Amino acid sequence: MRARFRWGGVSRFIVRRLVLGLVVLFLVSLVVFAATQALPGDPARAILGRSATPTALAALRRHLHLNQPVFSQYWTWLTGLLRGNLGTSLAAQEPVTTLLGPKLVNSAVLVAVSAIVSIPLSIALGSWAALKRDKIFDTVSSNLLLVLAALPEFVVGVVLVILLATIVSQVLPAISTIPPGSRPWNYPSYLVLPALTLVIAVAPYVSRIVRASMIEVLESDYIEMARLKGLPERTVMLRHALPNALGPVFQVIALNLAYLAGGVIVVEYVFNYGGIGSAVQEAVLSHDLPVVQTLAMLIATVYVVLNLLADVATITVTPKLRTQL
Amino acid sequence: MADISRRQLVAGAAGLTIVGGLAAACGSGSTSTGIGGTNPGAPKRGGNFRLGVTGGGSKDIMDGQNIITKPDQARLVSAFETLLLFDENYQLTTNGLAESVTQDNPRQYTIRLRKGIEFQNGKTLTADDVLYSFQRIGTKANGLTGFAATATMDIAGMKKLDTYTVRLPLKSPDATVPQTLASYTFCIVPAGYQAYPHPQIGTGAYKLKSFTPGAQSVHVRNPNYWRGGGKPYFDQVTIVDFSDSTAQVNGLLGGQIDAMTDLPAAQVQVLQSRGMHALVSKTGGWLPLCMAIDIPPFNDVRVRQAMRLLVDRNHMIEQVLSGYGFVGNDLYAPFDPGYLTEPQRNQDISEAKRLLKAAGHQNLNVDLHTTNGAAGMVDVATVFANQAAAAGVKINVHNDPNYYGTQYLKLGFSIDFWGTRSYLNQVQQGSLPNSPYNETHWPPKSGTGSNFISLYNQALATTDLAKRIEIEHEMQTLEYDIGGYIIPFFNDLIDGYSDKVKGLRPSKGTLNLDYFGHGFSSIWFG
Repeated sequence: MRARFRWGGVSRFIVRRLVLGLVVLFLVSLVVFAATQALPGDPARAILGRSATPTALAALRRHLHLNQPVFSQYWTWLTGLLRGNLGTSLAAQEPVTTLLGPKLVNSAVLVAVSAIVSIPLSIALGSWAALKRDKIFDTVSSNLLLVLAALPEFVVGVVLVILLATIVSQVLPAISTIPPGSRPWNYPSYLVLPALTLVIAVAPYVSRIVRASMIEVLESDYIEMARLKGLPERTVMLRHALPNALGPVFQVIALNLAYLAGGVIVVEYVFNYGGIGSAVQEAVLSHDLPVVQTLAMLIATVYVVLNLLADVATITVTPKLRTQL
Repeated sequence: MADISRRQLVAGAAGLTIVGGLAAACGSGSTSTGIGGTNPGAPKRGGNFRLGVTGGGSKDIMDGQNIITKPDQARLVSAFETLLLFDENYQLTTNGLAESVTQDNPRQYTIRLRKGIEFQNGKTLTADDVLYSFQRIGTKANGLTGFAATATMDIAGMKKLDTYTVRLPLKSPDATVPQTLASYTFCIVPAGYQAYPHPQIGTGAYKLKSFTPGAQSVHVRNPNYWRGGGKPYFDQVTIVDFSDSTAQVNGLLGGQIDAMTDLPAAQVQVLQSRGMHALVSKTGGWLPLCMAIDIPPFNDVRVRQAMRLLVDRNHMIEQVLSGYGFVGNDLYAPFDPGYLTEPQRNQDISEAKRLLKAAGHQNLNVDLHTTNGAAGMVDVATVFANQAAAAGVKINVHNDPNYYGTQYLKLGFSIDFWGTRSYLNQVQQGSLPNSPYNETHWPPKSGTGSNFISLYNQALATTDLAKRIEIEHEMQTLEYDIGGYIIPFFNDLIDGYSDKVKGLRPSKGTLNLDYFGHGFSSIWFG
């Protein structure tokens, strides 16, 4: 029997979660601001380092509004953020949006490609392993995925480079330096190794969760009933088992995507792929406050949005949850 | 041969007159054997030379007289040139834009430009460009690196004697002006020049085509390059920023770049096993342990000497540099003709213990401050802490990310980094009360060593090289006996390049890859 789908409940839920998400982002903004600008110590001095002359210090303090009270500094920053005015990078001396725009596109493309490959792949692998439980495919794939899950991305990336780009064979470029002014899709071959590394980093977790969740569903009464009713195995799997098994999987996918958004650093490092990851590292090292603050808020927003999407997806595929709204 | 006679001239009695040297004599003369003993053959034209450089970022700039990051150095020397040049042994030559720089008297130099040199836009290089270049460096508000070195120059009093001749008067005697004129922050720019994004027109081998800070810059061949002889050889040079050496090495192995800066010592074998090369250059770069001579316990000279005796220098070279360096003797500027090597100070734990006991510091326990700045700065601190433990001295290493913040230059015991300089230039930068970076608070205000400043001024005013070296020896003896630096070693510079690249030679200068292949003008694809 199919549960009734009530849009009113779902939209109320989404609105509630959106408001909660905004509260979370507000709290994050307080923490980010406090951690970067308001903490004891002089950010201007930390930024200038060995070249801190009194005139340079005074100029930078003015530029960062450090001579204003903390609350008014926060207010200036927050309202700027809301209006899309993210300030000027101290290192590059250009607007943060101009600086981060191309890098954001690069990272988004890399994460999207990795997600498009890894999500269907891990769902298929996990489901097939669950269906063939304890058979040879299941044993081999489960152990292999366990090994891959244990390897850090750095190692995976380096091994892939050795195998496919440098020592063993040279079928793919070893580095993926996207020339300025170009977009990643102009250089599809540059995307292969970084995306493959991320797929290997993410797919094992997701497919293990799919397998576990699927096994649980396949053992349930309603699947037994469907089979007894004589439904074709294909229908049993796609129509009845998969939607119910995917509920918990969405949460894992969301967490992994959020992890990708903040954790591409290592992969961008190994392949010299100019994205958000390298921007975070550089901005922190060069004390580029406006860039650090923007990136921290950006990554927090990605987390909040992905979690919201995962919750909505879980609820729409799980009859028991959506009828409770 | 031309090189040797020129060097003798420089080092001779009239050491401050730097004359001679036809461009042709050194122009295409780089037919020496390459690294690994293979003959590079005759230079060939063509190709896009792709260089991977670490240390860059969104702070990257292009300025003919200033740098912030390492790729900026490569960009600068691709398009701009100096009046005088250091050769691969860090000796001054007249292979630059000036055919001579003469010291007329202790307070005046005359600079004669080579005739017929054109900028990349066809404009002829004249005295006006030299005047503008000096004024630009000497204007404090421009914030250029070279400004400190203009302290002795009377830039407002500079005079154009004719189209190709400039007179440079000094406010006070300064025998180091020729060295200054050869440093890359003293490049000559055309009158009216401004930094990127304004047009970048120099006299150099390559002209800027495009530049994205933090990513890459592209430079095209200057067909009108004054050195002639087919130079430069590449059609294009691309300088690519890398955030990490792993990707750099992979890019080199995979053939996406042709050369890289700062190859990690551990990767030398990897490159060589793939038929590629490491360019190992002995440089005068150093990572001193700095003891402030006026902060306890280092205000006691016995403690300073004891600390210097705790260092096992060869072991430190192995540990920190994987063997790529040579032993230091607590004195800087190893390529200066006046560099004092004797007596070499070695580890002597028992003497160190005796000195510490005499000073009342048997169980010395001190903090040593460092940061992840230049490569090796943290390793030097930890290796020293281990070595000091042998004498019962406890060194607490503080790795502080904000090291170059409030406390820098006010610490009792810290690590810093320096590049290659000649002796008096280095003294001016780090060992005088008004030096920008005087970590050791040298010289003493009274007693032995307080005559250091007057010796320095004497040396600057001495035009006779032999006499000046005598004074330099006296100054170094003071620093050796009671100074605040521990200088365990001078580190090599290791760069990597593919077998395709020809014409690179090890050099003792500050810049990577043999002054980036002399501004990319003397290297080619074989």
